[in-house]
Amino acid sequence: MRLEIRDLAKTYPNGVRALDRVSLTIPTGMFGLLGPNGAGKSTLMRTLATLQEADAGSAKLIGVDGGGDIDVLRDKDAVRRVLGYLPQDFGVYPRVTAEDLLDHFARLKGVVDAKARRETVRALLQRVNLFAVRKQKLGGFSGGMRQRFGIAQALLCDPRLVIVDEPTAGLDPEERVRFHNLLADIALDVVVILSTHIVSDVADLCNHLAVIDAGRVLVAGEPDALVADLRGRIWRKTIDKSDVEAIKSRVRLISTRLQAGHTVVRAYGDGAPPEPGFEPVDPELEDVYFSSIAGYVGEAVDVPAVAA
Amino acid sequence: MTSAFWAIARFDFVQRLKMVSTWLYLVLYAVLAGLWIAAAGGAVRGVGVSFGGEKILINGTLALGIAIGIVGFIGITVIGSVTGRAVQQDFDVGIHPFFFSAPISKRDYFFGRLVGAWATLVMIFAGVAIGIVIGSHWPGVDSARIAASPSVQSFVRPYLFVLIPNVLWLGGCFFVLAALTRQMAPVYIAGVIALVGYLFAVNLLSDMENKTLAALIDPSGSTAVDVFTRYWSVAQKNEQEIPLAGVILWNRLLWAAIGTIVTFLGYRAFRMESVAPTLRRRAKKKVVEDVEGEAVGTASAHATPLPHAVPDRSAAAYARMLPGLARLYLGEILKSPRFLTIVLGGVLLVIGNAATLGSFYGTNTYPLTYKVLDVVAGLFNVFVLIVTAIYTGELVWRERDARMDDIADSMPAPTWLAFLAKFATVIVLQVVLLAVVMVCSIAVQLLHGFTKIEIGQYLMQLFVLQLSGDILLAVLALTVHTLVDNKYVGHFFVGIVFLVLVQLPLFGFEDRLYLYGSAPGLIYSDLNGWGHFLPAFFWFRLYWLAFAAVLMVGSYALWVRGREARVAARLRNAAARMRAPAWAIAGTAAVVFVATGAWIFHNTHVVNGFVGREDARRLQADYEKRYKQFAGAAQPRVTAVDVSVDLQPERLLARISGTLTIANKSDVPIRDVYVLYPRRARAQKIAFGVPATLADEASEMRWHHYVLAQPLAPGAVTDFRFDLEYGAQGFANDGADPVVLGNGTFLNPGLTPETSLIPSFGYGADGELSSDRDRKEFDLPPKPRMPDLNDKQQVMQNALTRDADFIDYRAHFCTSADQLPVTSGYVVKDVTENGRRCIDYRMDSKMTHVFSFVSARYAVRKDVWHGPQGDVAIEIDYHRGHEYNLGRMVAGVQDALAYYTKHWGPYQHKIVRIVEFPRFSRGGGFAESFPNTVPFNEAIGFTAKVDDRDPDDIDYPYFVTAHEVAHQWWAHQEVPANVQGDEFITESLSEYAALMVLKTKYGDAKMHRFLKYELDRYLLGRGTESKQEQPLVRADGAAYVHYQKGALTLYALQDAIGEAAIDDAISSFLRKWKFAGPPYARSVDLLAEFRRVTPQPLQPLIDDLFETITLYDVRAVSAAAKEQADGSDAIELVVSARKVRADGSGKETEVPFDGEVDVGALDAHGSVVALEKRRVKSGENRITLAVAKGGAVRAGIDPLGKLIDRDDKDNTVAVTR
Repeated sequence: MRLEIRDLAKTYPNGVRALDRVSLTIPTGMFGLLGPNGAGKSTLMRTLATLQEADAGSAKLIGVDGGGDIDVLRDKDAVRRVLGYLPQDFGVYPRVTAEDLLDHFARLKGVVDAKARRETVRALLQRVNLFAVRKQKLGGFSGGMRQRFGIAQALLCDPRLVIVDEPTAGLDPEERVRFHNLLADIALDVVVILSTHIVSDVADLCNHLAVIDAGRVLVAGEPDALVADLRGRIWRKTIDKSDVEAIKSRVRLISTRLQAGHTVVRAYGDGAPPEPGFEPVDPELEDVYFSSIAGYVGEAVDVPAVAA
Repeated sequence: MTSAFWAIARFDFVQRLKMVSTWLYLVLYAVLAGLWIAAAGGAVRGVGVSFGGEKILINGTLALGIAIGIVGFIGITVIGSVTGRAVQQDFDVGIHPFFFSAPISKRDYFFGRLVGAWATLVMIFAGVAIGIVIGSHWPGVDSARIAASPSVQSFVRPYLFVLIPNVLWLGGCFFVLAALTRQMAPVYIAGVIALVGYLFAVNLLSDMENKTLAALIDPSGSTAVDVFTRYWSVAQKNEQEIPLAGVILWNRLLWAAIGTIVTFLGYRAFRMESVAPTLRRRAKKKVVEDVEGEAVGTASAHATPLPHAVPDRSAAAYARMLPGLARLYLGEILKSPRFLTIVLGGVLLVIGNAATLGSFYGTNTYPLTYKVLDVVAGLFNVFVLIVTAIYTGELVWRERDARMDDIADSMPAPTWLAFLAKFATVIVLQVVLLAVVMVCSIAVQLLHGFTKIEIGQYLMQLFVLQLSGDILLAVLALTVHTLVDNKYVGHFFVGIVFLVLVQLPLFGFEDRLYLYGSAPGLIYSDLNGWGHFLPAFFWFRLYWLAFAAVLMVGSYALWVRGREARVAARLRNAAARMRAPAWAIAGTAAVVFVATGAWIFHNTHVVNGFVGREDARRLQADYEKRYKQFAGAAQPRVTAVDVSVDLQPERLLARISGTLTIANKSDVPIRDVYVLYPRRARAQKIAFGVPATLADEASEMRWHHYVLAQPLAPGAVTDFRFDLEYGAQGFANDGADPVVLGNGTFLNPGLTPETSLIPSFGYGADGELSSDRDRKEFDLPPKPRMPDLNDKQQVMQNALTRDADFIDYRAHFCTSADQLPVTSGYVVKDVTENGRRCIDYRMDSKMTHVFSFVSARYAVRKDVWHGPQGDVAIEIDYHRGHEYNLGRMVAGVQDALAYYTKHWGPYQHKIVRIVEFPRFSRGGGFAESFPNTVPFNEAIGFTAKVDDRDPDDIDYPYFVTAHEVAHQWWAHQEVPANVQGDEFITESLSEYAALMVLKTKYGDAKMHRFLKYELDRYLLGRGTESKQEQPLVRADGAAYVHYQKGALTLYALQDAIGEAAIDDAISSFLRKWKFAGPPYARSVDLLAEFRRVTPQPLQPLIDDLFETITLYDVRAVSAAAKEQADGSDAIELVVSARKVRADGSGKETEVPFDGEVDVGALDAHGSVVALEKRRVKSGENRITLAVAKGGAVRAGIDPLGKLIDRDDKDNTVAVTR
């Protein structure tokens, strides 16, 4: 099974081109969609989740459950039946308990049988570690707990397409790890799209990724391969803070960081150091991200076909 | 204040100026005020807006005062919104930490925000003045009702005294609420409470005793203005500036004090802290402790696989979810404080009003189910509307407001599930509210000790008739909220749509075929139940419900799911969403809509012509323009009536046929005869005893012009035979024809041309337009209400009928076997056979040419009065179940007959019959007198609840009965001429007569109590005069003159000259004019008798009482008691006296006062301990009065209030020793 997105485009009424001919092939497993704020990630997520219309292009879920294909854009009802969606910014009914609301969603997703529903709700709450507080009102949940609840409702009824939009923004380190564990459990024969601007999330979890900015896919592929591509092209130098502006105009700077009080800059250089004083370093995924955002690498590259 | 204060106030004000909502509010108020004024001025046929009569200038001082006050108060939610949000939004968006951690003082922040909000409101309410100015000059406003240059003061004063103080204190209270609770909900709740307080006060005002209380508790101040100006004449209401004095001042001080106290207390309690302290004690948000769980990378949780649940996504499965989902939505609403407050507000209002249910002369009626429903359901309906409007919006936006819409919309549940569940929730809310209405009403009945609870009627009225209409409104609200993509704008538009729907008929759009949700009115009567009016009602309901179903399908199709709300996207989604079932529903509904529409059109336009109000007025104008020229033509006069009425109640059909004997009593031959009979009559036969041809006919104007082949010579007599059919044929836009009913048919009451079912002859002025404003619209000159006192032609006509003097009467009245047919006369034959009952009536002496036919399933109570010249039978025909006051009515007849026979002359018939008829019949609440028959409305008298132990209760069934019996003398023995002052003879004498009967039975105290009511209503009536007030001798139809003033003045005369003298005058008058034919008696003839028996020094009193409009102003200044040698007290009274004469519009001039007036003293209970007549002159008078030692507590002039004085509370003062 895979999700084929071809030339998806959307322009908002105020002229902003949120999606500019986005094409991606997303296999089963964890797929990371990286991009800065305003890149078009959420628009893409919402379009796939049947909440928004695209102006042009297509998205098809191919080979669902060994059977047919689903036209994601046209056949909304069919998509919703196999969808699990965790939006970026959502609320909950504050005066309802976790168990009751999850039960309600289970019912909405079509679990008619009360006994089956009870079982699945319990299991999911246990999976996301909210079982102990299942009878508490959602209004009192912390951010991390609310996110876990969110993923629980997304996982109801064996979804085949799971879309998770910026799930760890605002979570503390411990909560983030827990969330990652939850996600990691899903991915076997399900397409999971995780959109985020936190590079390490993708590094930890995803076996495929794409970088998107201003509505366009900049790079796509497997993390290791993309990082390997950058070997020998990333350089590092420690400089004075006051020199940052000056150096920007001379080299292809990709990031500026503070390390133990010193300013360390990384730059892109094809084969040779961008200027004297730079030393070569092993590239990381973050370098892939910053380089493509800066425009030094990348054109949309299709992930090579993988056995479904 | 420091600069931080000004910075905050200015910032807020400027920000508000930039917001669209601010300008929207200003426009809204301008529109409201403008509509209000324009409606009052006649641009809109608005009924609800009256400042009291047509002569009140709509931008006169009083009108402006009321308009500015009320419209300003209606905006209570706006005040709440602006001031509440001014502070609450800081907490809402979470910006308050910035302010609280900045170096500004609490005073700057608190008052800065408050002043900024106040300034915004003052600006917004300037819209009211703008609207008034524009509205006054709107096309269509009667220019006679605008003051050419209204004084600036008349605008400024209401603003300064009423509106701005309201804004300030209300705004302060709302601000405090929002600041302390950091929520908007309490603000809305407070708004509802304030509105309830206002409505409560308005209703208390109807009960005389509580005027001052009502004036004080009305937070808007407009009741205080109303009370203060209650007795102002028309002239005063237009010109006199409203002062800040009396009740108005107290009201303003009271509420300003409340506002100030609340604001300062709130200021003290306010804390500039991030978390609001104690005020949020109730549900402290419980923070849930997170669970200790695995930290990094342990795999224990994912060992267990998730259970596999097989989903059922069929339509049936989701359909089963509908009740549960609705229950989910409902639960949250029913528990919310906002909803509970609205319900509470409604309940309070109802209970408050229930206390004075259907008051009449201060006496209540039994809380019959229909009566209670009238009051309760009417009041509560506003709340049902509010709840429908608000909660439809809240439900439509529920997921979006909770930011759960992304999750919910991506679920596989079908769109129709949430859609229908939300709609069902609104309907259930309506049902809940109606159930509350029912419970409240039953509680009211039980509280009054009334146990006849008619559950069936409750269920029908509330859950069938009313609910069907409320459902239609819910659909409308749902449609608006679906189409409009913003909750608050949606609320706004729902409000506008509801408003427009109500207003459209007033603008001349009356056809219910295009007024969404309308249906003809229904009135329930104990006699007739819902009657045959139901089918028309249900047709219209079906029609609009079908349309509503189409709207529902449309809303479903255009429902917003997901983020796309733009039109193009919605249409695309709609196309995908509309599948076979939806099309089937829409299609079926459309077919039903068109089919019922066609059927309704057939009934309301084809079978019964559609006549809108404007068309009806045009017909009246045309009638006058075309046919008034024939007004003076000699016409035959009826001398005998032989009528046959064939009533079939079960078929709702009546056939009235018969022969009128007509004679030419003029001295010219008559060739052209103008025959008039109602539009709705279906003439089967019209024929004269001599050959005649129909020369001209205009049925819609009731006009049929016949030409006799041989003119009828002077003195000649011939026949006129007619056969007319009446009865429901389908239904009209306003419902089925109310003439023939299943039970309680009342035919030929003759109050309007359309209810005179027997043909009449000659041009009738009663078919003309009477309102001067209406006449002007059709270029007709204004006309006086009655012909002039000295009109030589009209003195030859009697006031009751224009085409007859006295007649012989005979009737054959048939109805169904289970009903009793009643008309004037004596029963000659009574036969029941073949399911029909026929009674022959005959009047054994001449009578006036007025008679009616009443038929119902009556119970009969018989009694008798033993008179000096024989017995008179008494019969009351009433609806079984209405036995409450039969005894009182019988007593009323007996005592009335006794008094009138003794004091004036014998009764001319041998029976008095009282007949009950349904409450909605032509004329509303009245009783009328026909020869020996008195039809009595079911809602007056029959269902009155008189508490004999309560000194304030007047036995009005008794009183009204006595009044109607008196009419047998004054109207049927003595018939006045058709000129001004005729009602002085008929109504004033009858009212006085009833007063005397009341006094004889209940004593002086009750009588004085009653006169107090009469005085209040007379003074009130003066302020609502639409033409000119006339003195009694020229009384021209104004009820407050011939009833109220009549009773007051005749009693005053009796008090001055003694009962024997007045009886002498009245009986002499009766002897001279009894059964006298043309020329007829006039008021001056009666006055001549009064003058004859009045001693010379008292003659000016006759001028004061009857020939002029005279008002007195007597006042006790001081009363000092000095002990005398013989043990008595001598009270030295200082009193001031003043007398004014008023012209027709209320302009007053002082005239010298010189007459005899009561002076006296009262004890602690208000009973008289001394009363003497003393000579009193204009200005200050010193009078010494002797009373028993210590007996007098208060003393003064006219202590019993016999004079027409606008303020009789100042007649006495406490006695000082």
